[in-house]
Amino acid sequence: ASWDMPTPYGDSVFHTQNIQTFAEDVASATDGEVEITVHSAGSLFAHPEIKDSVRRGLAPIGEVLMSRLANEDPVFAIDSIPFLASSYEEAQALWEASRPVVEERLAEQGLTLLFAVPWPGQSLYTQAEVAQASDLEGASFRAYNAATERLAQLMGAVPTQIETGDIPTAFATGRVDAMITSPSTGVSSQAWDFTSHYTDTQAWLPKNMVIVNTQAFEGLPEEQRTAIMDAAAEAETRGWEMSREETESGIATLEENGMAINEPSEALSQEMAEIGETMTEEWLEEAGEAGQEIVDTYQGAE
Amino acid sequence: MEIATLAPLLVVVLFGALALGLWVGFALIAVGMVAMFAAASAPPSLVFATKVWGSMTVWDLTALPMFIWMGEILVRSRLSSDMFSGLAPFTARLPGRLLHVNVMGCALFAAVSGSSAATTATIGRMSLPELKSRGYDERMAIGTLAGSGTFGFLIPPSIILIVYGAATEQSIARLFLAGVVPGFMLAALFGGYIMLWSLTHRDRTPPPEPPVDRSETLRAAARLLPVIGLIVAVIGSIYLGLASPTEAAVIGVAGALILAAATGALSRAGALDSLKAATITTCMIAFILAGASFLTVAMGYTGIPRELARLIGEMGLSPYALLAMLTVFFIVMGMFLDGISIVVLTVSIILPMVTAAGIDPIWFGIFLVLVVEMSQITPPVGFNLFVIQTITGRDIFWVARAALPFFGLLVLAVALLSLFPGLALWLPGTMLSR
Amino acid sequence: MRRFLDRLYDTALWLSAITFGLIAVLVLLQILGRLADRIARLMSLPPPGLTIPSLAEFGGFLFAGAVFLGLAGTLQAGGHVRVKLVTRSLPDGAARWLGVFVALAAAALAGFATWSSGLQMADSLRFGAVSYGVVPIPLAIPQGAMTLGLALMCVALLDAAATAARGGTPAHDAAEARTGGPD
Ligand code: NA
Ligand code: NA
Repeated sequence: ASWDMPTPYGDSVFHTQNIQTFAEDVASATDGEVEITVHSAGSLFAHPEIKDSVRRGLAPIGEVLMSRLANEDPVFAIDSIPFLASSYEEAQALWEASRPVVEERLAEQGLTLLFAVPWPGQSLYTQAEVAQASDLEGASFRAYNAATERLAQLMGAVPTQIETGDIPTAFATGRVDAMITSPSTGVSSQAWDFTSHYTDTQAWLPKNMVIVNTQAFEGLPEEQRTAIMDAAAEAETRGWEMSREETESGIATLEENGMAINEPSEALSQEMAEIGETMTEEWLEEAGEAGQEIVDTYQGAE
Repeated sequence: MEIATLAPLLVVVLFGALALGLWVGFALIAVGMVAMFAAASAPPSLVFATKVWGSMTVWDLTALPMFIWMGEILVRSRLSSDMFSGLAPFTARLPGRLLHVNVMGCALFAAVSGSSAATTATIGRMSLPELKSRGYDERMAIGTLAGSGTFGFLIPPSIILIVYGAATEQSIARLFLAGVVPGFMLAALFGGYIMLWSLTHRDRTPPPEPPVDRSETLRAAARLLPVIGLIVAVIGSIYLGLASPTEAAVIGVAGALILAAATGALSRAGALDSLKAATITTCMIAFILAGASFLTVAMGYTGIPRELARLIGEMGLSPYALLAMLTVFFIVMGMFLDGISIVVLTVSIILPMVTAAGIDPIWFGIFLVLVVEMSQITPPVGFNLFVIQTITGRDIFWVARAALPFFGLLVLAVALLSLFPGLALWLPGTMLSR
Repeated sequence: MRRFLDRLYDTALWLSAITFGLIAVLVLLQILGRLADRIARLMSLPPPGLTIPSLAEFGGFLFAGAVFLGLAGTLQAGGHVRVKLVTRSLPDGAARWLGVFVALAAAALAGFATWSSGLQMADSLRFGAVSYGVVPIPLAIPQGAMTLGLALMCVALLDAAATAARGGTPAHDAAEARTGGPD
């Protein structure tokens, strides 16, 4: 089979590189029988179209940010609740607890999950030091979905919508004062051009997931399916490792370029933990029983 | 189907459909259909709506109708003719006189708008009727507009640079800064050409407007104030952090409406008429964009752009030869696809070979914008051509011929940029180094 | 019938224009909200933080809806661009039948587009697809506007083909002749 695979991010992003290796692994494990052509950076379908494209069979396989699907089902927002799981160990435990439910919800849509890899933790970028939440009082805080909007409100900031391409201009002209994103995005957008302080909150580790159209997948002979699943398992392990390395090298690059790197203060950590509890409770109200089970399993494993 | 047979077939279908008089958007859809049937694994009926929907629900596009609407208001309120009579005394001594308004107007407007089509439509709607009524050479008036309209992409903000920056993980702030000096250089080249042309074509330049004394010059300058105030308000709203570049277009509309109402120059019917005219132009451009997006995804499935880019990569060229080859490649692609599609389809293959050749990715972004600008004025698919056909009724091939000298100047600009990379890299280097 | 169709295209075009106007109003409100924040900060008051939720996403939907609703009216107004080098040099009779053929071909493509868009809308309904931003909007709503606009465009093209075949001048031809062209 020859599969076109739309992915949202560019070739220099470690997620894309991991997927390239995955495609090569699949080709060699199936003696070239399954050939995956990666169309990176939204060049075949843009990010908002990828999930439905896979679901409708326009592309048999694709990559998508899991929390993009949060409006369809709150379960997909589990990895984007601030301060619920804010380290690789916790993110791993949360993923193990939530994976069966995520797989089940995808299966209902005719989709099979192959693997999921987290971005480095989401941390604060500002133009001044943030020692406690009140330092952000009244500041414009970039929000791009319901969760980040709520987070901004709970920190006392004003949620502000800024499109990705508009971020440098928005900071330079004062339309926005703070954003929360990963060190990778900070490096790729060269955040030192427009912000000066990085506060390593690692508030949450959102994941990209690679999904395949179940019908297309089951159309393959069994040994090819096994080969793909094996390559996917390897890609997941490799991806998590790449993500950890990316965190370290990203923070180092931010520092090299003159940004101040701060650990969150006691006070800020305390406030963040409280916000995390509030947002987890709010999420549980939406996610119901299935959500409660995930959180119980996760907190039991801790 | 083999690429070697498919590619020429698609070219024939496109030219055939256009020659029969099929509307451009439909011609692009037709070519996309042929490509899909020949080479894609997915059904066109599902792909079409997905891709077109995705390409139309883009926030940045909302600036397009706003800027066009602003232009339509200015035309109807005579603010634009005031602007021309206001500028006349100031350009009187320059060879080519008011033709420079196209270049300067587009350069100024490009600082507000990220799109070449919006720049061409807004300035052209105001300048072409004025230039015609003052007896300027039509071909030269249209050519300067077609050429200068492409500034929209080079002078920041720029949609192309945002797309390139997002796809290649380059800093958009740096890319924007890198476009400034080449933008001025290109404006200077165009201005120089206008002077040269008018000195050698005195017979095709209208007689000078009657000389004016100092008080009349002042009065003329006063007529410029409303429009200058409008431009300052639009740019100012961006730099003061009140509006994003996309939102600033609405400041332009609101400002133009207020000015027109204050001077009593626009009736309610005129205001509604301006909105209707802007709607028609926007729908025209957007429908072609929709067709182009379907063709783009079809080309993605066929793999033609990737394959061609890969062939160039395998030639093992020296940096200058590589750039020359890429220029030719982009010019050919630019005849058939729109600029943003070209960047999206080819950049992930081309950027690695470019960086392997030791070329700076920020510099390459500016190179890319220049070659994409060329695609705006090459037939049969060139958005500046479509816009100008709508304004003047002149056929796109006629417009393209008028724009040919400016195409040549763009090639010259690419050569200068390649010889002196500092043109692009100096400004971001000084302003953003830490 | 003639008057009914013309009024239909015109109404859709005005709907499209009003939608573009609505985008302008929403953006203006957003800017005024930001201005209020700015002023509040200058006076050391808590910024009211008035924003229009998901404006970027919502604006994109409005834009798409407006574009498709306006397609038929734009056709009638001679707004869609095409190349007339060849057709202009043909004798009258041949040009007329070529016009019929081209309008039919375009109608077929518009029919395909309508069908494709309808399928997408049906899938969005079936999947219960909603937008990604702060306000989840069912995608079937704006996609319905897209389908409707494309269908109307298809009707307008069939209308043009029928008019030309009966020896009349389709609205877009008349409009193209009015807006001048080379002379
Ligand atoms: Na610009
Ligand atoms: Na072109």
